[in-house]
Amino acid sequence: MTAEATMPAGRTTAPLVASVDGLKVYFQTKAGLVRAVDGVSFDILDGEILGLVGETGCGKSVTARSFLRLIPTPPGVYAGGRIDFWSREAREHVAPPVDLLKISPADLLTIRGNRIAMIFQDPGKALNPAMPIGDQVAEVFYQHRSQELLDVWEGRAPRIMRRAASQRTRTIERLALRFPPLRSQARRLRRRVDELVAGALAETQIPNPRKIMSSYPHELSGGMKQRVMIAQALACNPDLLIADEPTTALDVTIQARIVELIRELQERHQTAVLYITHDLSLVRRVADRIAVMYAGRIAEMGDTDDVFYEPQHPYTRGLLAAVPSFAHKRGELSAIEGTVPELIDPAAACRFNTRCAHATDLCRSVDPALIARPGHRTVACHAYASPEMLGVAADRLPHVDGGPL
Amino acid sequence: MTTLRDDTPPVGRRVEAEPVITLRAVQKYFPVREGVFQQIVGNVQAVDGVSFDVPRGQTVGLVGESGCGKTTLGRCIAGLTDTTGGGVYFRLSDRDRRFLDEFDGTPAERRTSEQRAQAAAIDAAHRIDRLKGDAWRVYRRNCQFVFQDAFSSLNPRQLVKDIVGRPLRVHREASGADLIGRVVALLESVGLGRQHLYRYPHQFSGGQRQRISIARALALDPEFIVLDEPTSALDVSVQSQILNLLHELQQERGLTYLFITHDLGVVRLMSDKIVVMYLGEVVEQAGADELFASPRHPYTEALLAANPDLLERGEEAEMRGLEGTVPDPARPPHGCRFHTRCPVATPRCGWEVDDAVAWLLDNTTVLNEMSGVERTSDFEATLRFGGDEASAEARSLLDGEAPRPMRSALVELGVHGPELRIRFDPIERVRLDDVGEGHLTSCILHTGCAEGG
Repeated sequence: MTAEATMPAGRTTAPLVASVDGLKVYFQTKAGLVRAVDGVSFDILDGEILGLVGETGCGKSVTARSFLRLIPTPPGVYAGGRIDFWSREAREHVAPPVDLLKISPADLLTIRGNRIAMIFQDPGKALNPAMPIGDQVAEVFYQHRSQELLDVWEGRAPRIMRRAASQRTRTIERLALRFPPLRSQARRLRRRVDELVAGALAETQIPNPRKIMSSYPHELSGGMKQRVMIAQALACNPDLLIADEPTTALDVTIQARIVELIRELQERHQTAVLYITHDLSLVRRVADRIAVMYAGRIAEMGDTDDVFYEPQHPYTRGLLAAVPSFAHKRGELSAIEGTVPELIDPAAACRFNTRCAHATDLCRSVDPALIARPGHRTVACHAYASPEMLGVAADRLPHVDGGPL
Repeated sequence: MTTLRDDTPPVGRRVEAEPVITLRAVQKYFPVREGVFQQIVGNVQAVDGVSFDVPRGQTVGLVGESGCGKTTLGRCIAGLTDTTGGGVYFRLSDRDRRFLDEFDGTPAERRTSEQRAQAAAIDAAHRIDRLKGDAWRVYRRNCQFVFQDAFSSLNPRQLVKDIVGRPLRVHREASGADLIGRVVALLESVGLGRQHLYRYPHQFSGGQRQRISIARALALDPEFIVLDEPTSALDVSVQSQILNLLHELQQERGLTYLFITHDLGVVRLMSDKIVVMYLGEVVEQAGADELFASPRHPYTEALLAANPDLLERGEEAEMRGLEGTVPDPARPPHGCRFHTRCPVATPRCGWEVDDAVAWLLDNTTVLNEMSGVERTSDFEATLRFGGDEASAEARSLLDGEAPRPMRSALVELGVHGPELRIRFDPIERVRLDDVGEGHLTSCILHTGCAEGG
């Protein structure tokens, strides 16, 4: 049984930006085929922040990287499903989406960093240590905005400048650009790029962007580096921003500033954001809607407050109860016993059955599908299924306290 | 089983039990070397004058952001790093503690020779860097450490039985079958079992590895354990298992913990007393409930605001961060070290030339015209610019647009041609002061005036 996308009706108020349908990403290892992402489906609506939460190894990063096909193959295998993506133009002209898993590498290059941008977890590793900040951000413009760079020539740019604006010059041309008569034109281009880069950096509230542009990553603090990453990601005003644990490497006080910044920029540009994190109290502050992942599957999806105040899946309940808060007494923190199951050849069963207090023999033999629930929510738990649908007796269904409603 | 511990009093919150560990003005500087001859050009002040007690049977939480010196302090306490000043005392009696406080309070020239002798005797018997032979061994077995990263703190080439049995062997407590029995008992006490004896660390998950670390720390039945971010590398569901385990062990064995973490939710749950550090200094110290209910230091407030409780609703649930970055610990700011980022800073918080220059550098381009600085002291300097206009512009910027507390703190701001003279009132370091019921804070808004300010 596969987990079908069962989006409830009435959810189509905002147009879709991306729709993941039955995504399967496996990894070929010596021990066997690891089903890191096994049938994940969700939609990202225009202008929303979707939080993707889960513990280490649940497949959230793999899901995110699949959007840009950043999983190395081999060992990775895109085993099935599709990721449909509507760019702004496609949405305006009601054009069909592109399947990011199928399009050619050349087409993908026009989307990467342009229509879909990504912020990585560790800004220290994601920035090139041997390149000044300004040059790194400028690459985005050279790559995707070369036409805009030639504005100053008003459409009459010489061919060599057109090549220079997309960084496709040959060695001999680069040499020619350093001497008159082309030198002044090359400088004009450089000034135009610097202007755009400074603008992009200033938008992320970096003080004194001109100075930052000539410094190297090691001269900046972690928070500042992450701002540079955000500036780089938003430089082309993408339709979808994927933030993969963008604040995990930062201190809490800096983290709060970065989160504020992402929210603010998201509101200003109306960019859809896929925000991946393992930090529940953080995602609660960031996301409009969240999807909880467990062992390569979506366990539960819904509006953030609904999921936090009325968690339905036993895993979500366990996870929320495990976060220390003022309501807990020492030593009475509830824990989810056991560990995450192996993802090599998992049995056809609920992935959570080994750690679930409510599991029945049904959970150990039948894989639950995502079930649509009232309030635009979906849960993958048999406790919320109707016995007729599964074709089993009602007493074989598990019972979760407080539900099914 | 031989125990070297006295009878442990029952765990009681709020009752100030006798301290196991007493810190007095602990200081750890790391020299910064430069040049061909590796001359010392400065010191990174990782820990600078930290004093607090760790009462027996309780948990003291040590909170702060990365780089504030909390891990260095933990290592100093466990004797893994030498201190460069002050002392870590083990099992100091109340009488000795009072004597030491009095002794430190009296100026050096007024100390009598008997007092000096008594202080030296206390140091020799209790100060961990003066302990020798058996006394040092007693300390080592009574103070254990659990490291943050359970992946790198377990030897990948040793079996679990060797890792957990190692302390028992080193202290010649057990060997052979007896050793195996002890190791199994230890493993069982942390939720593992006999089946795990002959496995290597890589065969375990993160949570299980941390359990092995804890079992190793418990091997010699210690009195005191330094827990250095024991759960920050773990997922929440596993974290809660480990936190519950640590609590159970504390109840069973009457352990004393120093819990180092940056996670406020965890520290609130686990601690009786919380110590907040910023840039090598303690800025606030109070009982756990008291600290969360009424934080006095703006830094503590900022930490709480940046990390609201999961269940908080409404306005309280909004995350608020801090501007700016942590200053260089090799040149920490004068006065209150937090004043450069403080939202409620006053003119008396320790403004200095560096703050003015940093502000100009971050917010304006006028310093591009600067040709030199002549610094008389940290509070007084002459900036030389390329032209008269630049110096006048810098003056008007500092006078008109700089943050208000910094502007008000300027006692002199004069232009002499291309030169700009700036002078602040020198301000001494702030001190921790009691603001009621054992709640200590260093914020001058609560403690009154800074010395000399």
